[in-house]
Amino acid sequence: MAILLKLADLIIILILPFLISGVIKKTKAFWGGRKGASVFQPLYDFIKLIKKDFVISKTTSFVFKLTPLVSLAGLIIAALFVPLGTGCAMINVEAGIIIFAYILGLSKFFALIGAMDTGSSFEGMGASREACFTSIVEPAFFMTAASIMALTGNFTFDSLSKILENAGSYGVLIIIFAVLALLLMLLIEGCRVPVDDPATHLELTMIHEVMILDNSAFDLAVISYAASLKMLLISSLIAKLIIPESVGTLEYLGFYLLTIFLISIIIGTLESSIARLRMSHVFEFIFVMSSFALIILSLTVTRMFGG
Amino acid sequence: MIYFIGILILLITAIALLPQVFGVLLSGGALFNGALDFSSVGFVKTFNFNPLFGPVSFVLDPLSAFFALIILIMGPLGLIYAKGYLKPYKDKGKSLKSHIVFYVALILSMLAVVTCQNALGFLVCWEIMSLSSFFLVIFENEKKEILDAGVKYLVFMHISVIFIIIAFALMSIKAGSYDFSAFSAVLENNPHFRDAVFLLAFIGFGVKAGFVPFHNWLPEAHPAAPSHVSAIMSGVMIKTGIYGILRILYLGGIPSKALCYVVLGISVITFLYGILYAIGQNDVKRMLAYSSIENIGIIGAGLGVSMIGCAYNQPVVAFFGLVGCILHILNHSIFKLLLFFGAGCVYLKTHTRDMEILGGLVEKMPKTAGLFLAASLAICALPPFNALVSEFLIYFGMLKGLSIGSFFAFLILIFAFSSLAFVGTMAILCFTKAFSVIFLGHPRGEKASAVQDDAPLSMLAPMGLLASIALFIGLAPKLIFKILILPVFSVLQNSHVAGFQNVEISKTLSNMLSPHLTILSTIGFTAFGLIIAVGFFVFLKKKMNKKTESASTWGCGYNKTLSHAQYTGSSYVSPFLAMLKPLFKKVFDVKKPKALFPKEAHFSLHIEDIEEAYLLSPVVKFDEWFLSKFEKMQGGNLQTYIKYGLVFLILVIIGSFWIG
Repeated sequence: MAILLKLADLIIILILPFLISGVIKKTKAFWGGRKGASVFQPLYDFIKLIKKDFVISKTTSFVFKLTPLVSLAGLIIAALFVPLGTGCAMINVEAGIIIFAYILGLSKFFALIGAMDTGSSFEGMGASREACFTSIVEPAFFMTAASIMALTGNFTFDSLSKILENAGSYGVLIIIFAVLALLLMLLIEGCRVPVDDPATHLELTMIHEVMILDNSAFDLAVISYAASLKMLLISSLIAKLIIPESVGTLEYLGFYLLTIFLISIIIGTLESSIARLRMSHVFEFIFVMSSFALIILSLTVTRMFGG
Repeated sequence: MIYFIGILILLITAIALLPQVFGVLLSGGALFNGALDFSSVGFVKTFNFNPLFGPVSFVLDPLSAFFALIILIMGPLGLIYAKGYLKPYKDKGKSLKSHIVFYVALILSMLAVVTCQNALGFLVCWEIMSLSSFFLVIFENEKKEILDAGVKYLVFMHISVIFIIIAFALMSIKAGSYDFSAFSAVLENNPHFRDAVFLLAFIGFGVKAGFVPFHNWLPEAHPAAPSHVSAIMSGVMIKTGIYGILRILYLGGIPSKALCYVVLGISVITFLYGILYAIGQNDVKRMLAYSSIENIGIIGAGLGVSMIGCAYNQPVVAFFGLVGCILHILNHSIFKLLLFFGAGCVYLKTHTRDMEILGGLVEKMPKTAGLFLAASLAICALPPFNALVSEFLIYFGMLKGLSIGSFFAFLILIFAFSSLAFVGTMAILCFTKAFSVIFLGHPRGEKASAVQDDAPLSMLAPMGLLASIALFIGLAPKLIFKILILPVFSVLQNSHVAGFQNVEISKTLSNMLSPHLTILSTIGFTAFGLIIAVGFFVFLKKKMNKKTESASTWGCGYNKTLSHAQYTGSSYVSPFLAMLKPLFKKVFDVKKPKALFPKEAHFSLHIEDIEEAYLLSPVVKFDEWFLSKFEKMQGGNLQTYIKYGLVFLILVIIGSFWIG
């Protein structure tokens, strides 16, 4: 049984990222009044890209060739630290969140230098924006996580599902704000509307897409998979927050898949209903996440020291 | 010739002392199962000798041994590297004799500083260290700005030493002896006295270490000095400041709670300030200097967390904070040496430290680029390198500290925790900028495109060694942990925290700490996993054997390479700096294009240190104004000077009668 569940996690890592982007695209097609491609289309694209030959810029060096591989390796290792379909991370250690965050940092580091390696002004611009925007996310994420860990007295990711039993009615508020904060983090780190529009066609307005302009074939396939996997990992944290601890393992898996599905639909709906923000307003949007983190902190402090 | 004598002296010292150092750090074997008594015979190596002011003993206890280990490894590496770096100067006919002599003096005096157990001897060695490093900084003394930087450094060091002298003088007056062992009792019995001494020592040693607001000498002295000197100063010498603070803690135990908060607060400000200014710099060595300030902040944060843990009697918090602090001292010296060496290789080949006119060096200098990349990853605390381990330990100490139960401690720790995360992402911003602007893309100027070959082996070999040590610590954190335990326990044994006083180390380890220590092996395995995964994907990509076509970078249909259209360092970080506008004083140097066919245009951005601009310069200006009032006294007339001497003598005689 345990082995079967680990296998389920493995399948989730391999397949679910494609489905997330498939469902988002399908939702967007629905709101746009189109039929849309199959939800498995991203997987077909992946296979098609892998079969292609490379076109690589003359300017690039070994960094550019290494970038997609390091991004992918980093995200797969990071996935081991996150509770996926079974509700328990494969490597469940104290303060695993720090290791998790720093492995994602490694992927980001390589994505940034990979973009700068092409010597393109567009890609430099994308890298600059990505580096600046995501730098503010981390402290808010850490503050949220530390508040929850201090509140529950548990320093693994399990603490996410122990909020209610430790904080009572405060817990409900904390969970709501934590889900909102993580949703914002998902939009920022996953480069979705309103921070970035993955479907845009003008280089000057892109963030993530412009960084990978020169990638092709296997590299491009791997990068788009890694981007979806990152969204899956953050969604999994949201799932861990809202699914009650008391449910059994199989039920957890069901709820988990449902949550991931719902989040994809929410993102698709958001992308169809609002436009991306002006670049100069993105910072303000990101600081909303910091304020959510501060609200969670103040709720925690009130609960712990409020008498 | 003198070079070989120098290297011989350093190598012989290293070979003679390293076994002893390792002996002290690891010989805890006996201690692990017995009570903690560090003065037991055969464990502490004592060298006695008797100069004018009484017996001075040099003792290799665990704390000293740890710092001696860093000095003994890094010292010879710096000199080996210097051979290649100094070659162009030698070819130009510059005499290197004094430089080598001062280098050896610096290394030996640092060794003496961390082992000397006598206040006067300590101060003498401290002064030799400061002076020899001053002479190393002003190596290119024919340039005025280098001399200015050197003088600034000298002034700062002497402000620092005033505080240290006062602290030691107070202790030795009270104890009636210059020996460190006598200080212990005095400090332990008078809490207020201990606070005062700790504060003085923290300021004095803090100037040396580079804590904000005493950091101004670092960004001036490091760019001025030759690269191997900046490396040793930044990687090793500023750590003697931390050693001083740790030694005071070792002697007197933990000061009052307020001071523990002060240490953590100042450290948090230091690391935020350091990395913010590092992001803005375009001079690579200035950037590295600010990044040293940041890392001193991180080291201090570990210390602060540990002190708060002690103050609230939380052994786990105290242990993890301090072990993180100590390991980060070692880690920082490894990758900071590597980064300065890398910057030196680039300077050797391009003759510039300005990142904005470099670019594309990876093609001609692939080895330097690879090593610089490794160091950049390490300093950003990314796996599989070493700094992740030490930062993780500090993070973990902070997390555990959250449940102390004190409101104030909770708030300051959680803000320190998220600030450290912020520093992590800002470090990524800073070092992706540095690495990619120097090494990637197209060359941005003639100096960069004129580079023909990589740095010589004598420079690359020490760098390779450092990079592999960094990787080793990242892969096997548990092994390195063994040499950290004794220094940490020896500092904590005076802290009155349960679990560290008169106990068997092995018991404390197995009962209290071992449940948490498994995480260290997780970090090691993660690092291994990452390397294996990347290797596997590289293999997979090779195996697929797809054709590769070479083309130009996508430029919206424009196919020529436009090296001046690339993103520069300034433009890369400008959205970030714009967000934090009030924290910087930007100095623009702009020449706008005029007329129809503009020929000349120029733009450059320089970020000035806000503390220097608004705090230090006014003080210096006031000083100049005030002291100019006394200019009349210096009339150049010999008779007047004799008159001054006479008046002074009379005053001294009257004064001595009055006191006597």
